[in-house]
Amino acid sequence: MTRPSDVKPREGDQPASLYKDWVVGAEFPPLPFTITPEIVQEYMSVVDADPSHYVIDGRQAAPPNVVAVYMMAVMYRLYPPQQGGIMIGNTIRFHNPIWADEETEVIGSGRVTDKFEKKGRKNICYEVEFKRPDGTKLVSVSHRSAFPE
Amino acid sequence: MAIVEGRVEKTIPQTQKMFDDYGKLNGDNDILHYDDAYAKERGFRGTLGHGLMYTGYVCDLAAKKFGSDWHYRGELTVKYIRPVCPGDNLVVSVDADGTVQCESQFDVTLVGKASLV
Repeated sequence: MTRPSDVKPREGDQPASLYKDWVVGAEFPPLPFTITPEIVQEYMSVVDADPSHYVIDGRQAAPPNVVAVYMMAVMYRLYPPQQGGIMIGNTIRFHNPIWADEETEVIGSGRVTDKFEKKGRKNICYEVEFKRPDGTKLVSVSHRSAFPE
Repeated sequence: MAIVEGRVEKTIPQTQKMFDDYGKLNGDNDILHYDDAYAKERGFRGTLGHGLMYTGYVCDLAAKKFGSDWHYRGELTVKYIRPVCPGDNLVVSVDADGTVQCESQFDVTLVGKASLV
């Protein structure tokens, strides 16, 4: 089992990356982790999910967005987090199911796609892709956050 | 949860415990989610809920709406336009045309679109 907190640097624990540090095109080091049935259960609890919404041909799947709790860990491996970040938006695309009754090995990777200042906010955009070790795509995310410094 | 004329809707009252439980899972230590005084100093009504938690709420209704196809061809775009704080009574919805929204008693907090691609 990989809890996101096992692989995610915590805000305030180390010197934070600042806006000036972000480089468009920079790639995040691949992050391997394992989603277990226990993680799926806990995720469904914290997003108030109904298991009946995720049954495929009689088999219980996970909410495919369960990978969302690992997303920032992928980015933070290259850019340690700062306090006070605000999420602006996400586009999430689902490619294949994640099953609720088995362990799923996943590799998260990604890159910085843009940075810009708007209305006094320092915006960072990045993409994260989650795949199985055999290359099967699970989920792709395009993300934007704003940071104070 | 209610389904009326293709619109799926659910009301989820927000508590600090929900923010804490989500943060415990995702390992988030950003004090905007936990420190009421800091959040108010930043100009918010209180601590902020996690944006990805609200994405999870919306995804749950989209999964209901689109069924198995959601896992293979689902796409969701969301923007977080206003904060959600403890005490907010959040109405989460996906309309028949895929328009998604979260709305509290104060503001529309999230807008977006769910679809199959």
